Amino acid sequence: MRGAMRGMIVRRVLQSAPLLVLISVLVFALLQAVPGGPLAAYLENPNVRPQDIERLRAAMGLDRPLAAQYVSWLSAFVRGDWGYSFADGRPVLDRVLERVPATLELVGASTVLALCVALPVGVLASVHRLFDRVTSLVAVAGISLPVFWFGLLLQLVFAITLGWLPSSGRASFGANSFADRIAHLVLPVVVLAAVQAAAWSRYLRRAMRETIGRPFMNAARVRGVSERGVLWHHALPNALSPFITVVLLDAAMMASGAVVTESVFAWPGVGSLFTESLVKRDYPVLMAFLMCGAMAVMVLNLLADIAVRSIDPRTRGAA
Amino acid sequence: MMRWSVRLSRRSVRSLALGVATALVGCGGETARTGPSNELLIVGYDREPDTMNRYATHILEDIQAGVVEGLVTNDETMKIIPVLAAEIPTTENGAVIVRADGGMDVTWKLRPGVKWHDGVPHTSADVKFTVDAINKGDWKPESVDGFDRIASVDTPDSLTAVVHYKEVYAPYQLQFVRGTLPKHVLEGRDLNTANDYNRAPLGTGPYKVKEWKTGEYILLERAEGYWRGPQYPKIKQLLFRFLTNTTTRINLLKSGEVHMVALVAWDKVRELESMASLRMNRVVGNGYEHVTLNQKHFTPFADVKVRQALAHAVNRDLLVRTILDGQVEVVNGPIQPLSAAYEPQVPTYGFDPVRARALLTEAGWVPGADSIRMKDGKRLAFTLITQSGFAIRENVSQALQQAFRDVGAEMTVKLLDGTTISSVWFTGDFDAMLHWWQMGADPELTLFFAGDRMPPAGRNINYVNDAELSALLYRSDRTADVAQRNVLLREAQRRIAALAPEIVLYNTAKVDAVPRSLRGFTGNPTNAGPFWNVYQWEIGTP
Repeated sequence: MRGAMRGMIVRRVLQSAPLLVLISVLVFALLQAVPGGPLAAYLENPNVRPQDIERLRAAMGLDRPLAAQYVSWLSAFVRGDWGYSFADGRPVLDRVLERVPATLELVGASTVLALCVALPVGVLASVHRLFDRVTSLVAVAGISLPVFWFGLLLQLVFAITLGWLPSSGRASFGANSFADRIAHLVLPVVVLAAVQAAAWSRYLRRAMRETIGRPFMNAARVRGVSERGVLWHHALPNALSPFITVVLLDAAMMASGAVVTESVFAWPGVGSLFTESLVKRDYPVLMAFLMCGAMAVMVLNLLADIAVRSIDPRTRGAA
Repeated sequence: MMRWSVRLSRRSVRSLALGVATALVGCGGETARTGPSNELLIVGYDREPDTMNRYATHILEDIQAGVVEGLVTNDETMKIIPVLAAEIPTTENGAVIVRADGGMDVTWKLRPGVKWHDGVPHTSADVKFTVDAINKGDWKPESVDGFDRIASVDTPDSLTAVVHYKEVYAPYQLQFVRGTLPKHVLEGRDLNTANDYNRAPLGTGPYKVKEWKTGEYILLERAEGYWRGPQYPKIKQLLFRFLTNTTTRINLLKSGEVHMVALVAWDKVRELESMASLRMNRVVGNGYEHVTLNQKHFTPFADVKVRQALAHAVNRDLLVRTILDGQVEVVNGPIQPLSAAYEPQVPTYGFDPVRARALLTEAGWVPGADSIRMKDGKRLAFTLITQSGFAIRENVSQALQQAFRDVGAEMTVKLLDGTTISSVWFTGDFDAMLHWWQMGADPELTLFFAGDRMPPAGRNINYVNDAELSALLYRSDRTADVAQRNVLLREAQRRIAALAPEIVLYNTAKVDAVPRSLRGFTGNPTNAGPFWNVYQWEIGTP
């Protein structure tokens, strides 16, 4: 079985290589298709003359044919040379890596909080009708909340009116305590987790309902297993395997998609780097970011499959 | 089953409530807000700088200005004043000489006793090194404007730099507004990747970069031994927090987590005015909002009567009173009232729809079936592009749409993001555009209105081509004497107003929200920025 697992991992990694190249071509082409370009920002300043624009274009290598630009990017990228940011001239890898911890902190905490809410709510909603009605209403509201509005509202209430929590940033200037870090996490985490908890609880409820209707549940009851045991030891593990896939993929999406939350709360993660780079059309950073995003989705997808295999014996035979 | 499920949910609710309460109570003390003091002033800043190198950055140099000083700067009245220079070179004081071969020599006398933060004296060798570094060609400064006309620099002594221009360059006084590069640190290095300097430049200014936490803040700290004397600067630390979201920036100002915000949007000013701890500092800006009429792309604009008619159709006073909340002033041309070259006596276009209709009829445009005017089977219909997500512009566009329709012109509004719009105007592929130009402190107009300065050679995106105007502008460029040059520029402004190449709306006033207790703050109309005199700032009693 161990060999089968290793085989699957190797196969999946090999499969993903051509896919990544294909994605990189698409992303490169799409970025070029966005109007603007990295030099547009320079046009705002009247002291930047047309000859300056031409000089900078050549210096950035943007005067070469697109195919040549792509090939040199790809060959450098696979060698681990991600190039330099057009915006500040620093290595792209440094710029991306310095943002990763903040994003991991935010997404990690949000995922944990969302799971703490979604797991009990999803399970209970699958068996308790009134609870189901109430939580389904709340969940619909949660899913349809516009994130920026919800974020600004929380800021208004908890930071401005009540003054209980800091409205933005990752830490107070000069403060270095754990409590201060937690206080800064509360609002952005609640905003991010609200949407996820709403979606995940509904997903889990449905998976539970499908499992509960299956014959082996009755078989367990006949064997004298208590309702509580049936629910938590038989239904939940069966419902969990598709749920884990969803959670891990959503976490990957959240890492790259926390853009709005990071902007509202001035959170120094990769999401705000992405927005900033998009505005500046900083191609090297955008390429690196989007490729990392694609790789993260693939890795988490693989992790999800591995997790499902370890939880669910039925999947182990399949390739 | 029901029983334990209720029990569980109660338990989880209780533990959740307990957790939240602990978090709130536990952290309340930590986030206590302290007001501004001479120890620390916190600035809510709208973006993170790309680099602290003043010559390479392409955003405002507000943070840099506290660290790296120019030979000159301009004050809140737009007067150019010496900083690291001992005096401003002019033709009168003999420091500017036009040579017989048409070139120009400018002698900069440097202020004695100025030292870089590492104790090394600031000298004319740094001026020469700066020019050479920019002209060498392997570095990517934002602009080489003016430097590309310098043939060489002589340094007869350590405090004198003689700059030899190949031709007369009228804006020479602002040549070194971005300061100098320290030769002893940067000589022989690749400036594109000299990130120690680019992230924390060695300067002569009142502050040093203490810390740059990417994505979060830049902290400036008082530099000891500042040349203006030990009493400066008065505020020990300046913290610039990067807050890109406009509403977040305003929220933090309200909650007291930041003490000041530069450049408050006009429609947010009233909201902040009610706060007792703040003062709204307003200065006339050195820019103007206007509608560019691209006569090459939409040929009916080539007729001066059509342009004048559209100008008469707009009630600018009403726009300013309503959408702009009275925060700005109506102006009539590209050079703003604070400039020494400003000409107030120009032809103007007041709100007069009757006159507008008459002008259009004179030009041969008569109302068609749907009341939109037509000429030779063509409708007077065009598209205006403007920046999306900028509420004021979106509202002004709608008001313009209505105003033009009232005189028989149909305008469609197309919203584009800021980066896209820059590239669109550069290609000239649009009919009309609502936008502003933020002008440099120098009053040059050639780039915007000379007949041969259409993109890519310049910013003449009205595509106006008037021989008389172009001649005036080029003569002004080649006049080294400031007073004589201003005479020519005044005449050029009158000519521009008569031609009405664009519909001029209002001055882009600059409003900064600062603590009421902050002394010495004046604001600044130009890109010198509100931090131009930060060494003088002091927190007193409100």
